[in-house]
Amino acid sequence: MSTQDDAPDSPAESHLSQQNCHVALTHGPLNLQTITDLIRSPQAGAIVIFAGTTRDTFDAKPVSHLSYSAYHPLALRTMLAIAADLARAHGLQGIAMVHRLGAVPVGEESIVIAVSAAHRQAAWRAGEAALEACKARVEVWKREEFAAGGGVWRANRDGVAGEREA
Amino acid sequence: MTPKPPKGHCNILYFASAGSYTSKNVEALPAPLPLSKLFGLLEERYHGIRAGVLDHSLVTINLTYVDVPGAGEEGAEEIVIQEGDEVAIIPPVSSG
Repeated sequence: MSTQDDAPDSPAESHLSQQNCHVALTHGPLNLQTITDLIRSPQAGAIVIFAGTTRDTFDAKPVSHLSYSAYHPLALRTMLAIAADLARAHGLQGIAMVHRLGAVPVGEESIVIAVSAAHRQAAWRAGEAALEACKARVEVWKREEFAAGGGVWRANRDGVAGEREA
Repeated sequence: MTPKPPKGHCNILYFASAGSYTSKNVEALPAPLPLSKLFGLLEERYHGIRAGVLDHSLVTINLTYVDVPGAGEEGAEEIVIQEGDEVAIIPPVSSG
């Protein structure tokens, strides 16, 4: 595993919660059931769960695995702000967002977002908005390691490769 | 956790492409340091980092985003990085 996975601040798991909003960063595999249970509510008529998984190619080049690093305290703070804004705007019963860090094998979840609401429309909309806001703002970085060697930092903003390395 | 910077220094954190460019995740720089001088100082140490990384990156001081004045630009109220501050170079993010 590259040194980027380990620093500058990388506890195995860190989380923040505030009322019905839960956000976390973890180095282990994501558990859909556990994350969903955080936002279960008898007032909810709908739970929407989004799981983002790692793809095996970039620009048709085979990718062996992805690795994510984060500015832990800032990423958690940004995630919680996004969650709280959406909970308020959509009247959610609960929202949970968890991002995995370190090496993530192809095909496994790198992010899980679960939202609960009284009715399905609010849950769908808030779930989508949460993912888009995360991708635009949360201080987490993805590096794609190519099967042929080398790798590249991705940028969500433009969908293109960042700096290329040997 | 990041170690505290030595007396008279701030910490600067390098994430993603910034870390690849400098081959480190954190280093201590002498402080106080006017924010407007930061990119020039880093360019002296890591030739090409301005065009390759910094021009596309954001900067935080103690977890708050700040506007970095352009080259030769005099800010009305200049921000000065203080001893003990945690500064971070934030390249374009790619979560998800």
